[in-house]
Amino acid sequence: MLMAICALLVVAPPAALALNMGLSLLLGYRPSERRLALSTQATVVLSSIAAATLLINMLLTDQVQYTLDIGRWVDLPVEHFHFSVKFLFDRLSIPFVILSLVLCGVISAFANRYLHRDEGYTRFFLFFVIFLLGIVVTSVAGTIETMFLGWELVGLSSALLVAFFHNRVNPVANGLRVWTIYRFADGAFLFAALVLHHLTGGGDLNLMMGSKPWPESACVLDSSHALIVGLLLLVAAAGKSALVPFSGWLPRAMEGPTPSSAIFYGALSVHLGAYLLLRVGPMLEQSPTLQWIIIALGGITAVYAGLVGRVQTDVKSALAFASLLQVSIIVVEIGFGLRYLALIHIIGHASMRSLQLLRAPSLLRDHRRLEDNIGYMERTKETTRSDSALTPLRIWRYRFAMERGYLDTILDDWIATPFLRLFRWFDGLERRVVKFLSIGGGRAVAKKPSESDEMEAS
Amino acid sequence: MSISLRRIAQACNEAAELLPRQGPITKFAFLNPLQGLEQIHFDKVMEHVGAVYNNKAYLDDYRYREKLRRGRIVESDLLEVLTEELGERAVECVAGLTSRMELRLAMLKHPLHFGHRRELDWVLAETESLKKFRPEVAQESKTEVLGKFKQWAVANRHPTVCATLNKVLGWPEQKCEQLSDSIFSASVPESRWEWVYLQTLWNALRAGVYHAVAAAKQEAMAPNAIVENSLLAHPSMPEFVTSTSDNRVDELMIQFTSAFVDQGFAHSSLPGVERGYWKCFTQIFSQPSLLASRWRRQLWRLARELDQSNIGPLESIQKSLKELAIREADAPAFLGAALLSLRGYAGMIWQTETRPDLFRKPSPPGTLMEFLAVRLLLLTLAKKHPAKSSFSTGMTPSPVSSPPKIIDVEQLAFLLFELAQVLGWSPQALLELNVSQWQTLVAEMYEFGDHQRRRIFHAAFERRLAKMALRTFQLRTLQPPIRPEQATLQVVCCIDAREESLRRHLEELDATVETFGIAGFFGVAMYYRGVGDADFSAQCPIIMTPKHWVTEEPVYSLKQSDRSRARARRFLGTVQRRFQSQSRGSVGGTIVSTLVGPLATIPMLSRILFPRTTAMMNQTARQFIAPPTFTRLHLERSPDCPPAMPRLAADGSIDDQGVGFTLEEMIQLAERALRDIGLTANFAPIVLLLGHGSSCLNNPHESAYHCGACAGNAGGPNARALAMMLNDVRVRRRLLALGLSIPDDTQFIGGLHNTATEEIMFYDLELLPTRKVKQVREASRLLAEAARRNAHERCRRFESADLKITRNEALLHVQNRSEDLAQTRPEYGNGSNAICFVGRRQRIRGLYLDRRSFLMSYDATQDSANAAILARILAAVVPVCEGINLLYSFSAMDPGGWGSGTKLPHNITSLVGVMDGAASDLRPGLPWQGVDIHEPVRLLFIIEATTQTLLKLMEENPTLSNIFRNHWSHLATIDPNTSQMYRFSKDRFVPFRPDADESGREGLATAMQSQDWYQDKREHLPFALIQGLEKSGSTQATAAESCQIGVKELPEC
Repeated sequence: MLMAICALLVVAPPAALALNMGLSLLLGYRPSERRLALSTQATVVLSSIAAATLLINMLLTDQVQYTLDIGRWVDLPVEHFHFSVKFLFDRLSIPFVILSLVLCGVISAFANRYLHRDEGYTRFFLFFVIFLLGIVVTSVAGTIETMFLGWELVGLSSALLVAFFHNRVNPVANGLRVWTIYRFADGAFLFAALVLHHLTGGGDLNLMMGSKPWPESACVLDSSHALIVGLLLLVAAAGKSALVPFSGWLPRAMEGPTPSSAIFYGALSVHLGAYLLLRVGPMLEQSPTLQWIIIALGGITAVYAGLVGRVQTDVKSALAFASLLQVSIIVVEIGFGLRYLALIHIIGHASMRSLQLLRAPSLLRDHRRLEDNIGYMERTKETTRSDSALTPLRIWRYRFAMERGYLDTILDDWIATPFLRLFRWFDGLERRVVKFLSIGGGRAVAKKPSESDEMEAS
Repeated sequence: MSISLRRIAQACNEAAELLPRQGPITKFAFLNPLQGLEQIHFDKVMEHVGAVYNNKAYLDDYRYREKLRRGRIVESDLLEVLTEELGERAVECVAGLTSRMELRLAMLKHPLHFGHRRELDWVLAETESLKKFRPEVAQESKTEVLGKFKQWAVANRHPTVCATLNKVLGWPEQKCEQLSDSIFSASVPESRWEWVYLQTLWNALRAGVYHAVAAAKQEAMAPNAIVENSLLAHPSMPEFVTSTSDNRVDELMIQFTSAFVDQGFAHSSLPGVERGYWKCFTQIFSQPSLLASRWRRQLWRLARELDQSNIGPLESIQKSLKELAIREADAPAFLGAALLSLRGYAGMIWQTETRPDLFRKPSPPGTLMEFLAVRLLLLTLAKKHPAKSSFSTGMTPSPVSSPPKIIDVEQLAFLLFELAQVLGWSPQALLELNVSQWQTLVAEMYEFGDHQRRRIFHAAFERRLAKMALRTFQLRTLQPPIRPEQATLQVVCCIDAREESLRRHLEELDATVETFGIAGFFGVAMYYRGVGDADFSAQCPIIMTPKHWVTEEPVYSLKQSDRSRARARRFLGTVQRRFQSQSRGSVGGTIVSTLVGPLATIPMLSRILFPRTTAMMNQTARQFIAPPTFTRLHLERSPDCPPAMPRLAADGSIDDQGVGFTLEEMIQLAERALRDIGLTANFAPIVLLLGHGSSCLNNPHESAYHCGACAGNAGGPNARALAMMLNDVRVRRRLLALGLSIPDDTQFIGGLHNTATEEIMFYDLELLPTRKVKQVREASRLLAEAARRNAHERCRRFESADLKITRNEALLHVQNRSEDLAQTRPEYGNGSNAICFVGRRQRIRGLYLDRRSFLMSYDATQDSANAAILARILAAVVPVCEGINLLYSFSAMDPGGWGSGTKLPHNITSLVGVMDGAASDLRPGLPWQGVDIHEPVRLLFIIEATTQTLLKLMEENPTLSNIFRNHWSHLATIDPNTSQMYRFSKDRFVPFRPDADESGREGLATAMQSQDWYQDKREHLPFALIQGLEKSGSTQATAAESCQIGVKELPEC
């Protein structure tokens, strides 16, 4: 009973807050800064206490796993489809949800003062609360469809916060880019969920992993099925965690207010891909091929982020690539099956990086203090070191890094543009066919540019 | 025929004048963002600057109208300004309807519709604007107007009325004409007359405007008068700025330029950066790259060709101009526009080239030209591949701030329609107008457009403030001066507006205290390096370049301990740096984040939830390795050595013979400082020289809160240096010979006022003779109390501080702010500056100036006949204060344009500036959070000197002349003998006569204490006289009392 109440108290307060805030804003009521901050903090504290109680309870008793079933929300027996909402509390999700809540609490306290008097204060907190709900749901999701729900909320609030300053062009363009890549990843996720349902008859994460609790659980899928589902989930994770070739969006996402950048791209959001892989960790072990693919992808991203991060001249991009580097190493760890290490790595990295990002505006002061400490003479030696060796390799390496591995260009010029062209061609074809048919039928169709065309052109 | 290379070089230098003059953000420069245009009149510059820079000139109409409603602007001032502006034209009747003055006043007072055409369509279709009168129209006048109209309509049956009736009441054709009078008036329902009236009015106006608009259009299109050859007024300049901003080009240039100017942030630096911008660019980009974005896939060929054939930047510019088909006459404007469209980086490059002393890695001369050459090269490429899809972000932002031009009939007609209602023009009168009258009316609308309206508003707003200030000053100066017979303490502060309140509180607390104001570098221009510092900083106004170096050194007996502490610091610093760079690396990052990562939550939580406690703990920890607290300034140099930076000699020792001032120089500086502020007799036993600085966390703009007269550094070292000079017996002996007798008992003490935390600390107290200890303790108590009251006064401006806050809570509140990681407003800096007083403090002592006034001490009675002292004071004070004021004002007018926008997405780049978010142009100027309480006004200088003196000084000093004659700042004088005030307007001085204030009061508003005047108010306050002074006994008693209730003893060092 206690477990049930606690479990409910982890999820219900953020949901209630998001609903409440969304509704009241919709109805035109604008709560004061103080009220918003207080309600957010109260929610976070309540949820954290509940999560901590669960943790203590599990530590004291032998129970290492608890599932809260909210029931089936959609049930179509004829089509063999159901949508069940379940929350799973185990040794993976509890630490992660506690981490999320602590960080969200800190960030909301920070943002309360940082955004004081800003005209977007309310909007920020609305998105932030949606994010909070999303991250809590994702972390404790017990079925793949529940996870998808949280995953979407996180994606939505991310993109909206990137485009927070919507009166400038760049934030909106970059928000759109983030959104597009997220949608692509979400597509893969959704596809994976369907395949999983098809294969196992349900989306329960622990069912799919066998009955034993995380991380000892064994997967019920066979190797080839695991490979298919795993690859799809890997695409979803790669999009969310900005692994190669999706890495381009991560530095571009640093458009929102500093605290949102800290929580999303330093701490939680960027780790969600890794968390997803961790969640389905036992399944990955079914297919060595899949494991090697994951290790390779992580490795490539690590090399990429290491190279590119070295030349960044602004603090937020530098931190973004530093984050990416660690995330990719975490992915490699997951590939090798080092799940506890990966979990600890996530927790440590998220805490450290969000502090670094929050302190990013202090860079000049910190830098100066550091230089003062190291002293004057040593530094002069350093800067007078001549670097006249301009070898082609050095130039190539620098340009590769400066152009961020050309990843954005590749996606734009080789994927997005041909894709658009192809579909425009289809569009044209369709129109010609329709015209042909309708003229054949004796009726002229008014020539009118399609709406989608206009939207793309603009 | 292509443009000559010399002309290009010249044009580039001309264009550089238009760029923002902001050096590295760590040495924040308060300069007029349009300093290069000061030789042109302010009004003329403002006319063009909005369109060219795509920033707002002046505030939006609605904000002025809001001020009008709140009484910050009053109608009588609007009338005055309009009268001055229009002269005889004011009373002329426009189109036989109304006087020009009335028309313009109506356009100012009422929120008319100047919006976009589509917006107007919506208004016409969806609102009742054609059915109901505007809300301002009173009920009585409505009835009267309608009654007359009804009579006229019944009698005349004008075709326009009939057409309206047909439409409004759905009457068939001809019905209107055929009805008899009585039936006619009965058949129109009473409630419909308003609609009929307005609809007729609208139809009449639309028809009238339609006939007139063609001619008026031509008139409006007439080119503006070219302003003195400036690029700014080139007619196609705004268009060029838009056409030269291409996001793809900008993105690449931002990446490359920030790597080029990087002062040491990136892990690996740009290869070949020492070869200069142009060479470096062409070499790096001459490597083929197939994956580059399509529009610049051919860039490598071009770059290789340029690199191999050794084509210089100038030739390349010439070639690019040809390719872009720019006419020779347009070339300078085009080049200027190409720089302006990425002005943050262009300005920074220009600074690295012209102020190499501010940068660790400066650039050679000519770098801006190379930057321009690269920019044009990329623009030619971009032009060949116009951006198509929205995904490659080839969008050019539309000019947001330039208001939509009224060009079409409906818009003009609607504007007149609204005016007609508030001015009571009836349809019957309008229908009588002939075409030429319509044309006058339309021309009038054009003439008094958006910009003109705002200019008038702004002028009236400034006038309101000036009148209030001048009136207060006049009334106060007519009263006797207040100066203690024998001062017990003299405090010399910076002219900074933030010190006004501190000085006032000091004087309020103790009538025997005397205060002075001096430019915050205390006349000691130097490069200074503190004992724990790595670098020298220029401690003087940004417009000067120091010629001397001063270092701080531990006292001789502590040298050993200093060395070991420095070693410890260096060790910790190296570890820290390793840690920081490792945490961003792969292996190190993994180890660090898994092992100590979770621990990061501890500092994060404590920093954010308990900022002050954490700060105190940090400070305690740091004490163990901090440099020794007993230090001396290395201030003196032997006359045989030229001034020089300390350098490493061949044998490994440090050669610092060139550090310091010679005795002769010190005597000069000391004499000059005392004579400048008129402190030449009646020395108190203790004279405090108080520099100021500020401390805050997590704030890229920290330097902007420091002393503006010390180029964004804390002014403590300068105060300390001057105090050391003035305490030197050799200096005093020579001063005596020069006629300056400083009593032996007088002790000068340097100090530093932290304007964020209100802490005040003193230097070199260990040298204090024991007989002085008691006096200094008294003085420090007094200062602590004044600082506490100052904190309280400041808190009224912070929305997050309660208005009922007590003094002790206030002190805690401001200290918390400065230690808070999440605080974007550690203090408001000079955010409320509006006037600058140069004169004797005793003339205005007791005035509550609301932290709005720079205060410079100057005694005209001690000056020579040719005003040599005033000349040198104004040469520094006027540009410094004007720069501070205009940077604040422009940043407040358009925080996202002139200012650096909101701090929230700021991203520090290359250690020189901030960008918005992931990548944008560098953002110079002040952030919104620093100017949100600032009301933009040009600074009003009130100088205690004769008008002849000032005219003479303007004659001699072109900077002063430009600033005052072109009205970049306003000027007024008080005659030192007669106290008559004069305002400087249109190149001459006009006597000022105070009239009663808004509440009809003849005298000065008074209050017993400052707190009584400001309590419970957040907004700007009118000036007042604080009367508590005379009863020094009682205020002193309360001060002593409150001191005992636990004011923290000052840290003594």
